[in-house]
Order: sequence, then structure tokens, then C-alpha cells
Amino acid sequence: MAARRVAITGLGIVSPLGLNIADTWNALREGRSAIGPLQSVDGSRVGLKIQNAAQVHGFDPLQHFQGGKDAQLDRFAQFSVVAARQALADSGIELTPHLREQCAIVCGSAVGGQAAIEAGFEDLWVNGRGRVHPLTIAKTMANAGASHISMDLGLSGPTYTVSTACSSANHAMGQAFRLVRDGQAELAVTGGAEAMFTVGMLKAWEAMRVISPDTCRPFSKDRRGMILGEGGAMMILEPFDAARARGAKIYAEICGLGMTSDAHHLTQPSVEGPARAMRGALREAGLAPEAVGYINAHGTGTIGNDPVESRAIREVFGAHADKLGVSSTKSMHGHALGAAGALEAIATVLALHQGILPPTANYLGRDPECDLDYIPNHARAQRVEAALSNSFAFGGLNAVIAFRAANQ
Amino acid sequence: MPDAVAEKVIATLASVKRIPAEKITVDSNLREMGIDSLDVFTLLFELENAFKISIPDDDVRSIQTVNDIVEGIKKILAAAPPDASVGSASPAD
Repeated sequence: MAARRVAITGLGIVSPLGLNIADTWNALREGRSAIGPLQSVDGSRVGLKIQNAAQVHGFDPLQHFQGGKDAQLDRFAQFSVVAARQALADSGIELTPHLREQCAIVCGSAVGGQAAIEAGFEDLWVNGRGRVHPLTIAKTMANAGASHISMDLGLSGPTYTVSTACSSANHAMGQAFRLVRDGQAELAVTGGAEAMFTVGMLKAWEAMRVISPDTCRPFSKDRRGMILGEGGAMMILEPFDAARARGAKIYAEICGLGMTSDAHHLTQPSVEGPARAMRGALREAGLAPEAVGYINAHGTGTIGNDPVESRAIREVFGAHADKLGVSSTKSMHGHALGAAGALEAIATVLALHQGILPPTANYLGRDPECDLDYIPNHARAQRVEAALSNSFAFGGLNAVIAFRAANQ
Repeated sequence: MPDAVAEKVIATLASVKRIPAEKITVDSNLREMGIDSLDVFTLLFELENAFKISIPDDDVRSIQTVNDIVEGIKKILAAAPPDASVGSASPAD
């Protein structure tokens, strides 16, 4: 079957910026950051130093899951299902038995049901209990999000989870894109979810010395590191022609994936690996670099990432780099690890759809090593033809997705 | 002749990098020795346990030589007594 164009026709999100697309987008375009004091985790007993985070507030599982079902899903799987329900409803698609069997689900998650496994360990080693909750395994497995989406929505096509740390969601959405493009699925639910605010995880991140003591200031002078986030975001993908035929609202086209490995270092980024991934996404999308007007950067706000990513963008785009709007929305929703690419895909797709480029919040001023236009602090009204969304993971695994405005 | 703090730092670095301590001096440049950020974080973790101190993240960025670590630890030790909550077997102690 010839390669097909792939449309994005539904969006769903549970994020620190809001429990749905409208609230999240309002915060993104207003440059409002959800970073604040860490709540709901008591790390005082182990001297937890991390004080700030971008957490999802106001999410009540009982509003979404009945009959005790909420207790069968770890928080990350709850985010997965709720975001997928929103996305499917938003798409307005009528699910025939054929479509249900032909619907792929590809999700990203870096650490899966972290809270479930940690609660089990606490029972064993702190509380001195001789047994753990019987659903510990089923709640912890990284594929639980994808599996629960499948059961909840009655979708029975190819379903799996990709786990590549901070690139998980981009790898996942790229796989879903290719399944639909190549005719191996007629529909796809894809994105990522993460909920890793547990004492053990936070202590592990603290030990890496990459967490900012105040806030996340990507590409800015005086940046001091990343801020962890959580959430879930899902998109509905379908063949462009099928979407147009049913009169669907088309947010944007997903048109390219670039994947590379640095083969370099466990945590230090390289210029070359990300640059090759961006080139790969452009090549698969059939986009000239000059067609791109916006990049949603990986932009973690660490000392290491931001100059290297800036150099990689310059290497790929040459003189056109100075005409790009580049922002890191992690400054607002934090770094949600395996969900990061999914939250950022929503920001990127809506930027194309709405003609508004979300800003880099908390920006204080220019760092000589970061010399691009980072859309500091205020969104910009600008229609662009195409956009990239970058994700680069620990372990040197890079995944970049290309999107095109729907009217092209 | 290195003092006790320097000896401990050198011994710990030798253990982390699996190299003989004789190959390390206080003047050794970490980058030139092929010691990257992951090695440094592991080294500091071991030293925090050994000296029962907490080394602030912001102090880590300026480290270039073994002596930078030695001097940094001496400053922390002079400023405050060892922190019992760091490096003990039971964090609840």
C-alpha cells in the first residue's frame, strides 16, 4: 500500500496546566507556569531537597473510574485512559467493529507505575509486612496505560508501549504515525503518560544533580536545571483522506519521524545525534528546512542540554535558524519524562492549528551559548507551515517528530 | 604529602574509576583523566557518605581538579559538623 498522509483529529490531556485541552492551551498561550511547591510527597524523613515540581492538581480518579476500578490503575494509567477518552470524544469518530479491530494504541512511559511498586517495597521493608498488594505487578508494568486504554475503549488492534526515558512519547507517536501511514492500522490512539512523584524516584533524581532549586528556565541565563512534571496526553491519528471524507476537524498533519542514537554518553547530550534526528524527521516529512517556522525544543533547562540543542538546531537549519521560533514549554508543564513528548506534541499541534507559538516562560535574559529566538515569556501570534518537536533521552536516544499545518 | 581528606578523596576516586591510587595526585585534572560528570556524581556520592556531609549542587559545577574537591570538602567540614542524616545506614536515624 502506498504511504498515506496522516491527520491528527483528536486531542486529550491531563497536565499540570489543566485537566483538559482548553485549560492547558490557555495556560500555554498565556505563558503561565504550573511549577510550584512540591505537594503530596513527604520526603522529610529522608531529607528530600527537591522542593518544586509541576504537578497535576485537582485530578480525582473517582470522577473517572467507578466500582473500585480506580484502585486497579496506577496514576500514570489513569492519566492514560482519561486523556485517551478525551481525544476519542474530541475526534468525533464513529467506531465500527472494523475500526475497533484496526485501531492501534502506542504509548510512551519511562517508569510506568512507579507509585505501585514503591508502595509494595515500603510495605516489605519499612512496614515489615510479609506481602504486597496483589495488583502490584499489573499496576507497575509500563504497558498498563496502553492495556487499560484498549480495555476501556474497546480497541483491539496492535497495542504496545515504548520506553525510551524522555523520548518515550515521541518514539511512540512516531511508531503510531508509521502504522497508519503504511496501512497497518486505520486509526491510532497515541501519546504518553507519566506519574513519578514518589519519594524514591525524587531521591534518585536528586542524586543526579540536575534538578533546579527554583524553577525551570530553558535557554536562559541563570538557569539551574530541570523541574520534574507529570501528566498524560493522547492524540487520535487517522488517514488524512478518511478524516476529510468524514468531515473531521483536522488539527494538523503528522508527517515525519527522525530517530537516532548518540552512541556517546549515558547522560551528556551530543550535537550530532539530535541534529541527525531533526534531519531525519524533515527528510521523512519531505520538508525543506525553510518550511519549518517553529520548534518545540527538548529544552530541559539544564546547563548541559540547552547550548548543545541550540547548536544542533543551528547545524541543521543554517541561516534559517535565526528565523525559527524555538520554545521549551517544559518551562510551564515541567519535564514529564515519558509523557514529555506527548504534552509537547499537543502544544506543537495547537500552535500550528491556532497560529500562536507558545513561549519559553521564566526566561531572564540571554545566555551567550544559547543564541536562537526562544519566544521569551510571551506567546507570539504567527502562522507557520510546519513544526518540529524534539525529545532527547538519557542513554542518548533521540526522537524528533515533524508536523505540518492542516491547510497545506 | 596529601593530608587525610586528600588521601580519602584520592582513594575513593581510585575505587570509583578502578585505577591505582598512585596514578592520582591532588593536582590531577579530572577531565584529562577521562573522568566525566557521571564519575564525578558517583565520586561525590561516595564522599558524602564517607564524610557524612552534603555537597551542594551549585558547588559541583566549578570542579576541575582533585584539589577542588578536597578544598570544597574541607570548607564544608569547617563550616558545619558532619550531618548524621547523610550516609548512615538508616535514614530515619
